[in-house]
Amino acid sequence: MPYELRDIRKSFGDLQVFAGFSLDFPPGKVTAVLGPSGCGKTTLLNILAGLIAPDAGELRGLGDARFSYVFQEPRLVPTLSALENVELVLRASFGTGERKERALRLLAAVGLAEARELRPRQLSGGMRQRVSLARAFAYPADILLLDEPFQSVDLRTRIGLMDSFLDLQAADPRTVVFVTHEVREALYLGDIVVVLSDKPARVLDRKELLLPRERRSYGSADLSDVEAALYRLILG
Amino acid sequence: MRKSESGKSSPGFPPAAAASLGALALLLIWEFSARALASEIVLPSPLRVARTAAELFPTARFLSALQATFLRGMASFGISMAGGGAVGLACGLSPVFTAALAPALTVIRATPVLAVILLALIWFPDWAVPVFAAVLMAFPVVVADVRQGVRAVDPGLLEMARLFRLRKRDRLRSIYVPALAPHLAAASHGALGLCWKVIVAGEVLSQPARALGTGMNRARIDLETAEVFAWTLAGILLCAATDAAFNLFKKKEPLALRTA
Repeated sequence: MPYELRDIRKSFGDLQVFAGFSLDFPPGKVTAVLGPSGCGKTTLLNILAGLIAPDAGELRGLGDARFSYVFQEPRLVPTLSALENVELVLRASFGTGERKERALRLLAAVGLAEARELRPRQLSGGMRQRVSLARAFAYPADILLLDEPFQSVDLRTRIGLMDSFLDLQAADPRTVVFVTHEVREALYLGDIVVVLSDKPARVLDRKELLLPRERRSYGSADLSDVEAALYRLILG
Repeated sequence: MRKSESGKSSPGFPPAAAASLGALALLLIWEFSARALASEIVLPSPLRVARTAAELFPTARFLSALQATFLRGMASFGISMAGGGAVGLACGLSPVFTAALAPALTVIRATPVLAVILLALIWFPDWAVPVFAAVLMAFPVVVADVRQGVRAVDPGLLEMARLFRLRKRDRLRSIYVPALAPHLAAASHGALGLCWKVIVAGEVLSQPARALGTGMNRARIDLETAEVFAWTLAGILLCAATDAAFNLFKKKEPLALRTA
């Protein structure tokens, strides 16, 4: 059963962010939500995660769902090592042995086995975000929310991070909602790409991407038509 | 002595040597002043004070007074840390609580120590007066530091903790304690120094049977100025010793506790 938002309304004072907004998120798929800055993408994630209550509307299938989050910034505890940071979110769900094994496996999957004992300040920005990715996949969540997590790093690091994400997703598929304002990122990671309008946000377009990922690399011409259409839609 | 831009002493003149020179200068000024005044009742020489202290310190009267003052200091420190810590925590979490408590804290901060001691003399038995006064004086210091610590907790980490459904004890150990630790250390240091000063002042006025302050006041009445200095020296040493113990603990025990 897909997770669904139905006829969601949400305002902050006079600012209407959603006025009858509906969208569904197919299980095990990456839904990339594209939209201009400030259109309500983060509010959408916060409503999904239950951090913000909508003024009206229905959230279907989300009642008992567990969420993990990859934030714009890594949000790691500075006094804990990479391994301890991943283990921290597993403490309530797993015993010591299983927790450590799971955390080590995920850190190894993002290429940080050697750096597991380092503190966040000893890691580069890209490495910190890898720890954040490992933490999100280690946590036993039904839905994974990604809030523009690849923005603060250079292009090469960004592609490396996105490849790490795709490897983790292939090994353990989650229902992913990924918000971004970068068309290329949405095309690289998304199984479905949704384009939102400016406030109050509504769905301008929803595309299912069937092209295999190996043909979606940066610089590939295979998606140029879709990319151009998305830019036209975003820029009006 | 030249100083670098960062304010650190230039290499070649160690700070310990500078401190020793400063102490020596202080002793010399004291010695010359005592000679100039030529009156042991007004200002005894450092040597005379040292001799009096050497005679006084091994006596049962002194040791029992020292023990009682030490216990009063520790009790007032413990109470002010526990009470101030709890109230500071509440203030950090609730701006409404902070606003409600602000007038009381302002009154406490602005009230002269002696006024507190005099009122406490009316309200409490003599042994409790110094403790009450010290707790009241240290309380606002602890509240302010702990409140600042709670407000220093990264809201992004708290949101992460909420989303990943971290248990309360894990939030406390991994997020709150490391953020609070430096502020708790500052609060402890401030409260400890303040407690000793107020405790001795309270003892001088309330005259409990066993106390450094009582010994100090009795020596004053007997015009034994060298003994007043010796009791004072004991107070200074007590404060310095607890300060040193505190610093040792701080170095040994990294305050940012780890969950591993």
